[in-house]
Amino acid sequence: MSELRLADLNRVFMVGRLTKDPELRQTTNGTSVANFTIALNRRYKSATGEWKDEATYVGVVAWQKLAELCKQYLAKGRAVLVEGKLQNRNWETEDGQKRSTIEIRADRIEFLDREGRPAIGAGTPETESSPAPVHGEEPAFSKSDDDLPF
Amino acid sequence: MTELKIPNLNRVLLAGRLTRDPELRFTPSGTAVCNFSMALNRRFKDQAGNWQDEPTFVNVVAWQSAAENIGKHLHKGSPVLVEGRLESRSWETETGQKRNSLEVRADNVRFLERFESTPAAPGPEEPSESPDI
Repeated sequence: MSELRLADLNRVFMVGRLTKDPELRQTTNGTSVANFTIALNRRYKSATGEWKDEATYVGVVAWQKLAELCKQYLAKGRAVLVEGKLQNRNWETEDGQKRSTIEIRADRIEFLDREGRPAIGAGTPETESSPAPVHGEEPAFSKSDDDLPF
Repeated sequence: MTELKIPNLNRVLLAGRLTRDPELRFTPSGTAVCNFSMALNRRFKDQAGNWQDEPTFVNVVAWQSAAENIGKHLHKGSPVLVEGRLESRSWETETGQKRNSLEVRADNVRFLERFESTPAAPGPEEPSESPDI
């Protein structure tokens, strides 16, 4: 019998809403990076039998084309399905203390709102489109598709 | 057409090894809680074509019987598969500062190591199948 090796398994699936507009930056070599935070909700029954909502805030980072699409189509309040992996992020506070947290590095982000890109919660009528899934490696459409209806 | 609502989806699947021995505690009401940290490895090819290993460190919390089993059977280096959800944990530092961090709350932890069975029992069936908790 051969020896097994431990699987490289690091996968997360989250659905939530953006707490702010995404921030898009470029690294020094010109790669796009988008950061945003999503609020996940969990509904549970308390010990006294009432339904309660509990929010968890999770940071998401997207790279390259996916980052640009996030900036273009997402805004505060939008709903997304994020698929990716957990990674560590280390930073220093202003007074030099080291901090560390985990965030999601997104491989795929699906935009779950039906209506068009502008407006947060504006009561615009529905368009006949369904949201296209957006893949990190293979963008679902090209840059010139400015009038994409989703 | 019916309206959709947003599903409450928060699911995490990880495999890795414990970076230190798990810490088993009990709340004042007697519930077992076990905290541990695990290292996940990602192997990838860098631009020069060499394989690189990149670790990610994740804190995990398990409750009740799972917590007790982890505390009893696992130790630094043990391989595990964890299924659960991300959860925030808030605490105060000794100087009274508020801190917030994310950890995985496990609802299923599988032990991936074959436990040493006392005298080597021959046969295809391992008597010490990893307990499902």
